[in-house]
Amino acid sequence: MKELAGRLTALDPDAGAAVRVIAYFDRLAESRAGVEALVRGAAVLAGCPARLVDPDRRVHVRVEADGIRRDAGPPPDPAWPSAPLDPEGAGALWLERAGAGPGAVSTRAEPTRVGTEPLAAAPSVVDAVLLERAAGALRVVLDRTRGRAPADDPALVETLLDATAPEQARVHAARRLGLDPASPARAVAPLNGRPRVISGVVPPGGPARADAALPFSVLRGTVDAGPGGAPARTEGADPAAEQAGTRSGTGLPAARLGIGPAVPVLELPRSWAEARTALRFTAEGTAQDPGPRVVYADELGGIALLADLVAPGSEPPPDVRALETAAATAPWLPATLHAVASTASLRAAAAGINLHHSTLQDRLTHAEHLLGWPIRTPQGRLRLQLALAMRRLARP
Amino acid sequence: MTHVPPPFDPELAAALELIKDMISPGLTPDEIAEVRQGPGIQMLAGLDLTMGGAFEVEERQVPGPEGEPDISLLICRPAAPESAGPRPVIYHVHGGGMIIGNNRVGVDVPLAWAQALDAVVVSVEYRLAPEHPHPAPVEDVYAGLLWTADHAAELGADPERIVIAGASAGGGLCAALALLTRDRKGPQPIGQVLMCPMLDDRNDTPSTYQMAGLGVWDRTANETGWNALLGSRRGGPDVPAYAAPARAEDLTGLPPAFLDVGSAETFRDEVVAYASRIWQAGGVAELHVWPGGFHGFDGFAPQAAVSQAARGAHVAWLRRLLGV
Repeated sequence: MKELAGRLTALDPDAGAAVRVIAYFDRLAESRAGVEALVRGAAVLAGCPARLVDPDRRVHVRVEADGIRRDAGPPPDPAWPSAPLDPEGAGALWLERAGAGPGAVSTRAEPTRVGTEPLAAAPSVVDAVLLERAAGALRVVLDRTRGRAPADDPALVETLLDATAPEQARVHAARRLGLDPASPARAVAPLNGRPRVISGVVPPGGPARADAALPFSVLRGTVDAGPGGAPARTEGADPAAEQAGTRSGTGLPAARLGIGPAVPVLELPRSWAEARTALRFTAEGTAQDPGPRVVYADELGGIALLADLVAPGSEPPPDVRALETAAATAPWLPATLHAVASTASLRAAAAGINLHHSTLQDRLTHAEHLLGWPIRTPQGRLRLQLALAMRRLARP
Repeated sequence: MTHVPPPFDPELAAALELIKDMISPGLTPDEIAEVRQGPGIQMLAGLDLTMGGAFEVEERQVPGPEGEPDISLLICRPAAPESAGPRPVIYHVHGGGMIIGNNRVGVDVPLAWAQALDAVVVSVEYRLAPEHPHPAPVEDVYAGLLWTADHAAELGADPERIVIAGASAGGGLCAALALLTRDRKGPQPIGQVLMCPMLDDRNDTPSTYQMAGLGVWDRTANETGWNALLGSRRGGPDVPAYAAPARAEDLTGLPPAFLDVGSAETFRDEVVAYASRIWQAGGVAELHVWPGGFHGFDGFAPQAAVSQAARGAHVAWLRRLLGV
């Protein structure tokens, strides 16, 4: 049938092939085909791998063009044609159509493409019909077989993260949420939004590393954008996924996140507590509030102890007051000091904030004068790092 | 008796939507010539028999049955040098209802096995009915087996490890070949793979009625094929077992058999009955009835999950048989 499908598209690039595609998926739906059969249909008819990722329901199915299921694959490419499963959620069906993006030429896609340059970024007519039909059928099957995702139920997540809830109740909540008790999970604290739980193996590290860590799934509520409504750019995050308000494929919101350590499911309250602590170390990543938008509790080490010493909204320690005073006279100061504190060399720091090396030196001399301590010695650098961390912790 | 058919597997039903304009369930005698030239046969011309260079392919003319024309064998040998001595042989007999096809039809299946098992594939061309009624097809198939066994060394193959295999009419001819070579004390294959085999000219089992007008190869097509092979003898009292193996009274002394068939096809009941009779005769058989499978489903829709399972079962059985 692979050859047959190929022949169909070659002979009859648009309308005829689209009609076949519709008939194929209608028939699958009529005979109540399962999720894998639908994804396989998309892969076989498209002649490229197809991937269904539905973080809400913890579904990850990837089938290659030969019809064989191979769930591992490259990280999603925002240039691939895709269709969302529903307008609200993070779930989507993707066609791994390499080179389907702007300006690229794909031999497989070529015969089915309408027009040339102006439409190059849009999926071909056949791909679009295929995605629409397959996603529509998948929506129905997922609703039928998996129900509305229990992950939508914030009460279950809350129970799971509540140390005072009886163990029996937390076991029940974990089961309802579809969590595998044998595999570790992490609690995730977004700045504005409901708690989340990430199950499966997710490496600690920045968002870039988390983004690459498929397959795993996230229990989540609604997609929330970053503060102010618009998701802010995050280093290493996927621009297309951010447009959808999520980090690519993970279903994590593009907001500031504290991520707790991976723990057995029944110890999630501890992971949640540490996630909230980690959240306090995050920053907006702007010039006035520089710093990481995602912090893993595992990576804080002894710095985490500061969180107990500096309460939010309390009178800041003297070094933080010095920072605030200095920032009031020199708006460039927070971003510059963050660059210096978080970069391996001054040269790299200068490059990171687009400054000439000698300009940076001049600024640092000025900053040292304002702060009243050296920041280019190891001791001074540590003092600066602590001051920057405490500045975030002291925020109300 | 109910004639409600079992449903097709969802993926297979969807695949039928795609091929329904090319393949119709029925086939009447006046359509034979057209189907012989149809797109299915034409597509075979483009088939890469070397499987991307894995096989060396030659077509050989070898003697046919005594007093009859030569027959053609398609011989595909692994291109890599033998490492473990003479190779097993898959002796392949193509399908096509006794009336259509050539030795390339369905040969991709044994070639895929041979790649997995390091075997030689020999696919025999036999004369087709109605121009050449019984016993021409089965005698050609037998002549090809004789040549293969006699010339195995030439092919780097082991004459003691010949597996006969075929789908549809090819499966029926393999079952007949196993009977014939048993009775003539010819070469003894070590196994027979009978995929949705065409075994019974009587065309009167419940499944033949149940699936009329549905899927691929219904009772009308089946009648066309058997009439071509047997003429007015079809369904009568004197049809030989070498034409329709379901007629065999003695199924003892046969090589181990692998049989499979779809639950939603004409041949279901005759295949199940044949497997049962092999067991009743004290023989060895493995039978799979693939739920919702139409005739030849794994060839038409190899990507479907049930097709993948069927093809996996073929290779698994061959591995156990051959000990590789």
